[in-house]
Amino acid sequence: MNRLAIRNLVQSKRVVLISVGGVTLALLLMLTLDAIFTGVERQITAYVDFSGADIWVSQESVRNLHMTTSSLPAGVAERVGEVGGVAEAVPILYLSNMIVTGEDRHLAYVIGLPPDASMGGPWRLAEGRPLSGSGQAIIDRSVAEGSGTSVGDEVEILGRALEVVGLAEGTASLVNSVAFIAAEDFAQLRGGGEAVSFVLVRVAVGAETASEVAARIETEVEGVTALPRAEFAAEERRVVRDMSTDVVTIMNLVGFLIGLAVMALSVYVATLSRRSEFGVLKALGAKTSDLNRVVILQSLLSVGIGFVLAAALTFALSMIIPSLSANLTLRLSAASLLKVAAASVVIAGAAALMPVRQIARLDPAMVFRGK
Amino acid sequence: MSSSTLEVTHVTRRYGAGATEVVAVRDVSMTVAPGEIVLIMGPSGSGKTTLLSMLGALLRPSGGTISLNGTPISELPEGRLPKVRLHKFGFVFQDFNLLSSLSALENVAIVAQLAGAGPRRARERARDLLIEFGLGDRLAFLPEKLSGGEKQRVAIARALVNEPPLILADEPTANLDSKIGHEIMRLLRRVAKEQGRSVVIVSHDQRIKEIADRVLWLEDGQFKEMVTMAEDPVCKMAVEREKAADRLEHAGVTYYFCSRGCRKEFEADPARYLLPERTLQGASV
Repeated sequence: MNRLAIRNLVQSKRVVLISVGGVTLALLLMLTLDAIFTGVERQITAYVDFSGADIWVSQESVRNLHMTTSSLPAGVAERVGEVGGVAEAVPILYLSNMIVTGEDRHLAYVIGLPPDASMGGPWRLAEGRPLSGSGQAIIDRSVAEGSGTSVGDEVEILGRALEVVGLAEGTASLVNSVAFIAAEDFAQLRGGGEAVSFVLVRVAVGAETASEVAARIETEVEGVTALPRAEFAAEERRVVRDMSTDVVTIMNLVGFLIGLAVMALSVYVATLSRRSEFGVLKALGAKTSDLNRVVILQSLLSVGIGFVLAAALTFALSMIIPSLSANLTLRLSAASLLKVAAASVVIAGAAALMPVRQIARLDPAMVFRGK
Repeated sequence: MSSSTLEVTHVTRRYGAGATEVVAVRDVSMTVAPGEIVLIMGPSGSGKTTLLSMLGALLRPSGGTISLNGTPISELPEGRLPKVRLHKFGFVFQDFNLLSSLSALENVAIVAQLAGAGPRRARERARDLLIEFGLGDRLAFLPEKLSGGEKQRVAIARALVNEPPLILADEPTANLDSKIGHEIMRLLRRVAKEQGRSVVIVSHDQRIKEIADRVLWLEDGQFKEMVTMAEDPVCKMAVEREKAADRLEHAGVTYYFCSRGCRKEFEADPARYLLPERTLQGASV
């Protein structure tokens, strides 16, 4: 019967093309969307991941960057630096704001860096030089390219014109980018004050793990939350995911329903077109379960082919799209593949339901009535 | 070879109830012996298809019993009928009803597989049958590439692959030209006489009378008259025993003739016409 299922599929080229094509597109929608969001999640934590810090120290209860404000007393960096196991502690300033280039405004995490900061700065410069003093800014290369800004031009950040001295690589995502300015400028533009936003900590070589040192910081320094880098990044991703879950769910549901509708219709049509042959088999002695196996296998094969094609296309897109748009990265995750594979199995099963009922009702005596 | 017998006893089939009730088959009884070919004829709407469906365990009678080899198949639970159909019946249809996506070989093998044969055994058996029926060079052909006669031979091979004791054929020559129709008739006769299988044929085709041992006339759901066929030992024509132009007792056997001329020829030299197969087909004891 397996051979019959395969032969029926191969023979009904048009039906297969429609069903596999439709399912491929539907699953592609689901996989691509997941890949985009996974890519965005990775990009959005790029600054945390590449800051060079092993531990992020913030105002108590602040556990991520996005849509938060953290304010710590100026002396807190020194106190953190004195905690056992801490090799270095660098205070940074942080604000979510705009980079204004002419008429364009670009959302950005603005980072204020102390002179000669060993952590928290751009990790790769595509062009230009690091910050060396007041009145300077480093912005992301793709933002600069998008707005026609070059090294030496001026951009407006926190309401003040700053000279672009460098273009950073890998600091932009689909949502925003990171701009670096001097801590001195940041403090002035924000209205003075000695407070810092975060303290970036590097753990001493050979000391305890980042988690142990972070726990000690929280014990010895009052009013702070200290999180190892991986945990701080995970919190950041969770916030982004929580904000986008509804959109992803709705789009996944749309993809699922499109896939289900296409498959259900094509499996139904394929079964209907072979109704008399199924009747013949039933008359000859095939059990309803034998025939159901044919229909379900046809459905599973169509969806299986659709899934493999969709995964291959998503993988291809994840290779091609970053070269077309620097800010958009697609990342095909194992979790996403598993989720969509599970959805595919549900689609195949559900699509076969109606034909299975149709077969159960099929009267084998119809073969003698010429139907 | 099989020794099973089909027995139909007072079988009735009703559709609907009350004022809309239609009796398609009414109190029909018949017996088919092993190796016997029974032709059921009758006008459209006479109940032939309904009767054939009931004989093939595709439709349950409203009354009466149908037994095959002593097993009352009309009383078996629904779940057991597919197995009975696979092993006890071979079906031959007017429209051949081959599976369009499978080759000739696969069309036959799939039925053997459904009956529990392994894929290799099923294919071997299918191949042997198709070669026996002269289709050795058509094994891999799809039905659309086969002629009508070839399709019907594949269908007959499919009907025989599980070695059933009873073959049920619905208008097996209807879609075939005269020459091919004769070929198929000869094949069905071979199946009955050489393999001892019972063959029940429903048809409008008068030519099938030539191979039938008995002809039953169904009208308004009932057998109106029963015609027993015999072969004229001289000219080989099929003749209805009851309407034969002449008959003759010879050595305890009755011979039937289409004309007095044939009888005279026979009387002149009986030994010339008493070859074993002629005796079997044309005579009754």
